[in-house]
Amino acid sequence: MNQTSMLVATGLLASLASFAQTPDDCQAFRHHGKQDQARQCFTGLSRSTNPAIAAEGYWGLDDYQQANTLFRTAAGRDKASAAIRVRWGMLFLERFNPQEAANLFQEALLIDRNNADAYLGLAKTAAEGFENKAEEFAKKAIQLNPKLVAAQEFLAYLALEDNNVPRASEQAEKALQISPEALDALSVLATIDWMADKTNSPWADRIWKINPSYGQAYSTAGHFFVINRRYREGIQFYRKALQLEPNLWEARSQLGANLMRLGDYTAARQELEKAYAAGYRNAQTVNSLRLLDSYKNYETFRSGDAVLRLQKKESALLKLYFQPELERDIAYYERKYQMKLKEPVQLEVYPDHEDFAVRTMGLPGLGALGATFDTVVAMDSPSARPPGEFHWATTLRHEMSHVFVLTATDDRVPRWFAEGLAVHEETVASPDWGDRMTPDVIAALQQKKLLPLLDLDKGFVRPSYPDQVVVSYFEAGKICDYISHKWGDAALLGMIHSFANHKNTTEAIQENLHLQPAAFDQMFLTWIDGQTKNTVQHFDEWKKRAKGLPALAKQQRYDDVIREGTAIRDWYPDYVEENSVYEMLADAYLAKGDKKDAISQLERYRDIGGRNPATLKKLAQAEQQAGNAVAAIDTLSRLNYIYPEDGDLHKRLGDLLIAAGKTDTSIREYKAVLAWQPVDPANSHYELARALNTAHRAGEARDEVLQALELAPNYKPAQQLLLQLTK
Amino acid sequence: MRPLALSVLYLFAAMGLHAATFYITAAGLGGEPDYDKRFQMWSADIDKTLRSTEPGANVTTLSGAEATRAKLEAALADVAKQARPEDAFVLMLIGHGTFDGEEYKFNIPGPDISATQLANCLRGIRAERQLVVDMSSASGAAQQALAQKNRIVITATQSGNERNATLFARFWIQALHDPGADADKSGGVSALEAFRYASQKTAEFYETEKRIATEHAVLDDTAQGKGVRNPSPENGEGMLAASFPLLPLGAETTTQANTPAKRKLLARKEQLESAIDRLKYQKSAIPEDEYKKQIGALLLELARTQAELDR
Repeated sequence: MNQTSMLVATGLLASLASFAQTPDDCQAFRHHGKQDQARQCFTGLSRSTNPAIAAEGYWGLDDYQQANTLFRTAAGRDKASAAIRVRWGMLFLERFNPQEAANLFQEALLIDRNNADAYLGLAKTAAEGFENKAEEFAKKAIQLNPKLVAAQEFLAYLALEDNNVPRASEQAEKALQISPEALDALSVLATIDWMADKTNSPWADRIWKINPSYGQAYSTAGHFFVINRRYREGIQFYRKALQLEPNLWEARSQLGANLMRLGDYTAARQELEKAYAAGYRNAQTVNSLRLLDSYKNYETFRSGDAVLRLQKKESALLKLYFQPELERDIAYYERKYQMKLKEPVQLEVYPDHEDFAVRTMGLPGLGALGATFDTVVAMDSPSARPPGEFHWATTLRHEMSHVFVLTATDDRVPRWFAEGLAVHEETVASPDWGDRMTPDVIAALQQKKLLPLLDLDKGFVRPSYPDQVVVSYFEAGKICDYISHKWGDAALLGMIHSFANHKNTTEAIQENLHLQPAAFDQMFLTWIDGQTKNTVQHFDEWKKRAKGLPALAKQQRYDDVIREGTAIRDWYPDYVEENSVYEMLADAYLAKGDKKDAISQLERYRDIGGRNPATLKKLAQAEQQAGNAVAAIDTLSRLNYIYPEDGDLHKRLGDLLIAAGKTDTSIREYKAVLAWQPVDPANSHYELARALNTAHRAGEARDEVLQALELAPNYKPAQQLLLQLTK
Repeated sequence: MRPLALSVLYLFAAMGLHAATFYITAAGLGGEPDYDKRFQMWSADIDKTLRSTEPGANVTTLSGAEATRAKLEAALADVAKQARPEDAFVLMLIGHGTFDGEEYKFNIPGPDISATQLANCLRGIRAERQLVVDMSSASGAAQQALAQKNRIVITATQSGNERNATLFARFWIQALHDPGADADKSGGVSALEAFRYASQKTAEFYETEKRIATEHAVLDDTAQGKGVRNPSPENGEGMLAASFPLLPLGAETTTQANTPAKRKLLARKEQLESAIDRLKYQKSAIPEDEYKKQIGALLLELARTQAELDR
C-alpha cells in the first residue's frame, strides 16, 4: 500500500530538517517506480542519527531487523510519540506479526487518541483476520483525517472484499479525489474491470502512467480473483505482478500457495522456496512448504475421472470407501447438472487437520472440513476429528457440488449460492446427512438475524457476530431448499446458467424465479418461519426441561424420563448431541426392559442424523439381537460414512453381510478389517478368504487363506478352507 | 516367528506334564474410589481367568487393603520357597506408580514398594522363566532394576516420566479373554502376543479418543534394562516372550502321538513347520512368485498332515 505522506501526517518531518531527502521523498520515488533513486534515498535515510528516520531507511532497504531495532530505540527515547509507534506497528504488520502491530497501534492511541494512522493500522490488522471491525476502524481514521488517502483506499479494498462493487468504486473514487495518484484506489478500480472481463481497463492505463512497474496492482487483482475462487485467473495476475516486480515476495508466496491449491506441487514449491529464501517467511509460506514436504507420505490412486490422494497410513482403509463415493458423486452431479468435467477431480484427504488448514484460507470463524479449488478438493480425514464429529461423505458431497458449480459457472458464482447449493445437496443425498439445526442457528432465528439475500455473502466473508458464518451456511442452504421445493431443481439449474452468463444475484433471481430479491426474501422468511417455528418457539422451554433429564435418569426415575422426554423430544428433533433426548429415552426404556421402544428411539436418533459411533453400534447390536439383521446392517453401514476407522465395525458388518448373503459388500468390510491392521491378522485373512470363497472367487480366497496360514500355520479353520479350496 | 510358536507348543506341553506356573497379581492404591474400584475389578478378573483356565494353578491375588508391602513380600517369599527351576513365575502389578527421578515406587497401602525392593524379592525365586508385568504409571522407570536374564519385563510406560494413570492393564486383561490375541493360532496366548495386543489396543484407544498418548508400553526380555515398543528379530527383543505361555494351551492342539502312524505324522508335521519357518526367513531373498509357490505347497502339505492327524 501507498505510504506517501504517512510521515507528513505524523509530524516526523520536523526532525528531518538537516537531511536533503525525507522518507516521503523516498516513498515518492518508489511510488513512481523509480527504484534506484528510492534505494539511494533510503540508503541516505539509514545514515540518519535519528533512529526513527534511520529505521525508515533500513525498512526501505528491506533490512527489517535493523529497522525494528531502531524503532525500538526511537520509541524508548521518545515515549510521547504516537507516530513512531504507528510506523513500528506497520513494520510488524508487514512482517507477519499482526498481534504485536495491534499492540503498538493501541499504544499509539493511548498517547494520541485521535491518531488516524493508528486507526488505519488497526483496520489493516483486523482485515488480516477478516474481522468486521476493519471497516469501522478505517472509517474512524477517515473521520479523524479526511485527507488520509490510504484509509480511503483501504475502504475501497474492504468493500471489494465484500463483493460490493458499487461501494468499492465509490470509495476508490473518493480516494482519487484526495490524490489522483492513489495507486491502490486505481488498483481496486482496475480489478473491478478485470474481474468483469474488461481486459483494457482505463484505470490500469492510469496506473502505468504513474508507475510503469507497479506490480502491486496485479497482485491486488490476484487477491480478489482468489477470494472469489477464480484461482486460475488469480495465478495469472500474480505472474503478471512478478513480471513487473520480481521482488514482490507476497505475490510470489501467493502464487506458490495458489499453484499448490490447484495441485501443481512442483511449480508451487519453486515459488514458495524463492519467497522463503528471500526472507518472506509468513505462516502460509512456511506451512505450505512443510505440507509439500509431507506429501512423500501420501499415495495417489487413479480411476476414471478421479484422483485420490491419501496418507499412506490410512490409504488401504479409506480407499475402500472414498474412491467409490467420489465416483458416485461425480456420476450424480454429471447427471443432475447435465455436464461433464473437463478434467479429473483430485481429492486429497488429510489425517492432520492442521495440514488441511494450511490449504484453507479466507473464511474465518468456521472449523472448515473441506475446501475446493477448481477441481481439487482437500478435506479432513475421518481420523482428523473425534469419532462422530463429522460425516465425511457429507463433506465430500458438499465439496463436489462446488467442483461442478464452479466449473459450470467458470467460477462466477456468488458465495451464498455456491455454499447454499452445496448444503442443499447434502441432505438431498440422504436426510440424515448434512448438519442439524444448532442452537446458534435457533438463536439467530429467534432474534430475526437472517440476512437479506443480497447481503448474504457478507455473512460468510465478514461476519458481524461470532456464529454468523454457521448461520449463513444454514440460511443459504435453506434458500436453495426453498427454491428446489417451490420452483423445482430446474430453477436451481437455471440459476447456475444465469451465473455462468455473468448475471448477478438480482438478475439470476429475476430470470429464474421471476421475483425481485426483496419479494423473494419475504416469501423465504415466511417459509422458513413455518419450517422452524416449532423449535424456535419451544427452544427455551425445551432447553430448560432437557437439562433435567440426566438427573432423572441418575435417580433411576425411568418413568419420569420417558414422560418428560416424550413430551419435549419433538420440540427440537434436530438435537442429537450429548445427552440427546433419544438416547435418554432409549436408556430409560432399556432399564425397564422394553427393548422394542429403546430400539425405536435410537432409530429415530439415527435417522435424524445422530452420529455417536458408540450409540449407533449399540443400536445395531440391539437390532441384531432382536433378529433384525437388515436394520443392523443399515445402521452399521451408515457408520461407515461417519467413522470408518474402526476395525470392530467392519468385522461386525462383514459378519452380518455375509450371513445375509451380501458377499460383495462383506468382502469390502473384511478388506477394511485387514486394512486397519487388526490385532488378529490371521483370522482376518481367513474371514476374507471365506467371503471370497462364498463369492466364488476361489483364486483370491486361496491367496488370502495362504496369508492366514503364513501367519499361523496351524490355524485349523484356515487349513480346512485351504483343503476345501484345493479340492 | 514359527520357531517361537513351536517352542510355545513344547513349553505348553511340558508345563502340562511337569512344570507349574506361579501367578501373583497385586492391585495397588487407586487414590480415589473410581480407580480403587477399577484396579480391584481388574485384579479379580485376572484371578478368575487364571483359576478357571488352569484349575489348581498357584494363584495369589492381593488387592485393596490386602495389597501391602508385607503381604506382597510374603507372597513372593512363598513362591521363592516353592518354585523349582523348571517352573514359571508371573507377577502382574496393577495401579499407580511414581518416579521421583531416582527411584520408582509401586503405590500400595502402607509403605510403597520400590523397584529395587521388588527386584530383591524376585531374586530369591528359582523359576528360570519369569514374567513381570508392571502396568502402573511411571513403570518404565522400573525396567532397569527388574532386568534379569530369563526374565521378561513388561511395563505400561516407556519411562518414569509417563506419569498419568495407565490403561494398559485394561487391554492386557482383554488379551486373556479375546481369542484374537492368539495371533499365531497356537491355542494359547504368549506373553509377546498379550503385549502386542494390549499395546496396539492402548494406542488405538488414544488415537480414537484423539488424546495424546501418555503411555507407551515396552518389553525387555534380554536383560537390557531398557524395553522396546516393537519387539522384533531386528532389535533382538521378544524371543523369550514369544515362548512364554501366559495362558495354557487349549485341548485342541495337544495331539496324542499314541500310535506309530501318528508319531510319523507328527514328525512330518514338525518337519513341515521347520521348513515353513526357514522359508519365511528367506522370504526377502526369494522372488515373490517363487516364494508364494513354495509356501503354498508347504502350507497345503501341513494342512493335509494335520487333517490326517485329526482323523
